[in-house]
Amino acid sequence: MKKILAGLSLGALLVTGFAFADAPTDLSMDREPSVFSINQATVEL
Amino acid sequence: MEIGSFIKLQRTKQEKTLGELAEGVVSISYLSKIENSKTQASPEIIKLLCNRLGIQIDNREEELIKEKLNDWFSMLFEVNNKEEIIKAYEEIQEILDRNLSENLLLFEIHKIRYYLILGEYDEAAKKINELKGLSNNFDSLQQFYWYKFRGNYYTALSDYSHAMQMYKKSEEKSGYLEYDLEEIEIADLNYTIAVTHSKLRNTLEAIEYANKALDIYMKLYNFLRCAQCHNILGISYRRIKMYDKAIKNYNLALHLGKLNNNRQLIQLTNQNLGYLYSTKGNSIEAIKHYTEVIYDKSIQPVERLATVSSLVREYYTIKNYEETRKIVNYGQELIEEISDIESCRIFYYVIYTYHYLLTEEYDKFEALVKQDFLPYLQKHEDYASVIIYSKLLANHYEKIHKYKDASKYYKEANFAYEQIINI
Repeated sequence: MKKILAGLSLGALLVTGFAFADAPTDLSMDREPSVFSINQATVEL
Repeated sequence: MEIGSFIKLQRTKQEKTLGELAEGVVSISYLSKIENSKTQASPEIIKLLCNRLGIQIDNREEELIKEKLNDWFSMLFEVNNKEEIIKAYEEIQEILDRNLSENLLLFEIHKIRYYLILGEYDEAAKKINELKGLSNNFDSLQQFYWYKFRGNYYTALSDYSHAMQMYKKSEEKSGYLEYDLEEIEIADLNYTIAVTHSKLRNTLEAIEYANKALDIYMKLYNFLRCAQCHNILGISYRRIKMYDKAIKNYNLALHLGKLNNNRQLIQLTNQNLGYLYSTKGNSIEAIKHYTEVIYDKSIQPVERLATVSSLVREYYTIKNYEETRKIVNYGQELIEEISDIESCRIFYYVIYTYHYLLTEEYDKFEALVKQDFLPYLQKHEDYASVIIYSKLLANHYEKIHKYKDASKYYKEANFAYEQIINI
């Protein structure tokens, strides 16, 4: 299933996403963890 | 990186013309040949050019560079603070601007991952294009990362087929690097391949690679990464209807998330557990897990909104319209909070579809589903959702005795079924 790429700017990326998952862009209810393991919650740029 | 390319890189960075750098050392045309690797200049000339650019060509700082690079490389793979990653990057860049290091290429290749983590996809694409011309000369280690990070780039674009092609090439290269790669690198690649197989619905392969990664992470006591693997295993076992195994894996992920007090991981697992119970028809358990997620303020609004969409459907399915109403209202509040509407458009459609149904604004319901929601889902080939919302619309038409319209949307649902079977 193709997914859209939400036009994420750096700012948008910082305010979206489980730290361990990619931002949801479709209605698939299985949520894989991200391949980019990064603690976004601690960042305030 | 060849010395000529390095000199060119530094000269353009310092905004010097060919003439300014060549003056008194070599002719402009000769410098151009050096920069384009069309000739091999003598060590004396290279030294003079590097001196003018303020670059050291001895390896006095090589050990320091190596140490700093290794620290920075590991930051790109573990949970870390972005500010720290940026700071370390700038520090290394500054040192490498004045040193010709044997590790320069590896640094340049890792910049792809760095830009992706920062969400700067255009910069990552630019870096990939920049390095393409040099990639024929990469050694096996450089190729390992080159393919892996190009895979990461496709992952960021949600193009999982191309991502997988790249990861497989990276895996092939890892076979030649038995002694050069740490176990954690192998684990990360296995994990990444597991996630990608899961995205591509290659369930058995996802299980195989998640288990490979898990074995290593367990040995390394890396519990957060173990929890990520358990989530992949949970998803995979649910898909092949081995529910007990799926629940066992999710519970392990929850346990590890709680041990590390990692809210994001806990709620990711709750979302997955909620969906598992939903597919089993156990709405009470599904609602319990979804509800855990939606009121957790440590989770970003767009994430909570995704779970709210699942919860709205769950309550509506069991005909609990009062709770559906409450959750729809909460979803509308979350939408208000999210400034980037594009990032949550699909959830907006879900919330307002049910909102119009509950408020009996049927004209608006029909218009939204027909003109916006279904075309959006079809455009993105989300056939599973096309089935759900075509049927919802068809049911509505049937209730109000518009059988021709009802038949049209039942047919659309059928067509979507066929697409899924073909997939």
